[in-house]
Amino acid sequence: MGMTHLMEGDVSDSAMTASGLHDSPMEPSPFRIASRKLTMWLFIVADAATFGGLLFGYGFLRFGSPNWPRPFSFSPNIVTGLFMTVILLTSSLTMLAGVTAAQEGRRSGAMKWLGGTALLGALFAVLHLREWSAMIREGWSLTANPMGGTVLFGAVFFSITGLHLLHVISGVIAILVIAVGFQTKRLTASHVETTGLYWHFVDLVWMFVFPLLYLLNVH
Amino acid sequence: MTTMKTRSGPSMKVYVTVWLGMLMIVAVEAVLAGAHVSGGTLFAALLVLAFLEAAIALRYFMHLKYEVPLLFWTLIPGLLLAFLMMNQFWADSVRMNTFRFP
Repeated sequence: MGMTHLMEGDVSDSAMTASGLHDSPMEPSPFRIASRKLTMWLFIVADAATFGGLLFGYGFLRFGSPNWPRPFSFSPNIVTGLFMTVILLTSSLTMLAGVTAAQEGRRSGAMKWLGGTALLGALFAVLHLREWSAMIREGWSLTANPMGGTVLFGAVFFSITGLHLLHVISGVIAILVIAVGFQTKRLTASHVETTGLYWHFVDLVWMFVFPLLYLLNVH
Repeated sequence: MTTMKTRSGPSMKVYVTVWLGMLMIVAVEAVLAGAHVSGGTLFAALLVLAFLEAAIALRYFMHLKYEVPLLFWTLIPGLLLAFLMMNQFWADSVRMNTFRFP
């Protein structure tokens, strides 16, 4: 368990000065983390409230709609969804390996793991867009429901999964930018770790979206 | 150089164990969805499992377990309170059908 290199809880003098933690007359941070990491945590909490609001909205509409459709079949929809879940979970693991490599100063190792994470994220996005494309071909849209019943399913499904997909695509771009920056020594392990925090949050949101939007809508 | 020590992070072995545990939770969710459990029971079970996964991800993947406790107490209870407050809208959801125009 013990790791001798600087971990997320260890903030060096230079890092603290750079992040404004150590500048007199300011007091040291009570959270003992760099300000960029605290900023990411605050963003994550705000974003979690956004997704929470959207999922509550979905529950509200579903509870109030007697003719809510259940369009998904176990195969291929849920099987594809499970595959996407495994991809996203695995990308969190490769991200952790990337952060560990960055904190140990292994630049090529970090580049390799971060590249793998971005690749898995991109694969998730491609599978998601493929699924969207199939649904749109069937007649689903924000205002249309080919199964009959309320049209709200399409609005809710495309809105929530669309916002999540936007997070995934943004995350892939961010990971690639950070990886190149770390490789060229313009960015530090702290940047990699903060990006990792965001990526794990994207994974965490999917842990709610998949069961509530997919598994609860199997016919 | 002085450092502000909090706690050290876990090893890759711990991460892989947590990852396997989360995959197992996803598998349980899929089995429940395919087992034709009643709607309310399935919803409750899936929600509990999702929160369990979220807690594991927060503690291990996002390292909240290894930060100073103040960070957790500053961020998470307020978020949970916000989620609890959203529950006040359910009554309107139930009444929505009777409010609908013919």
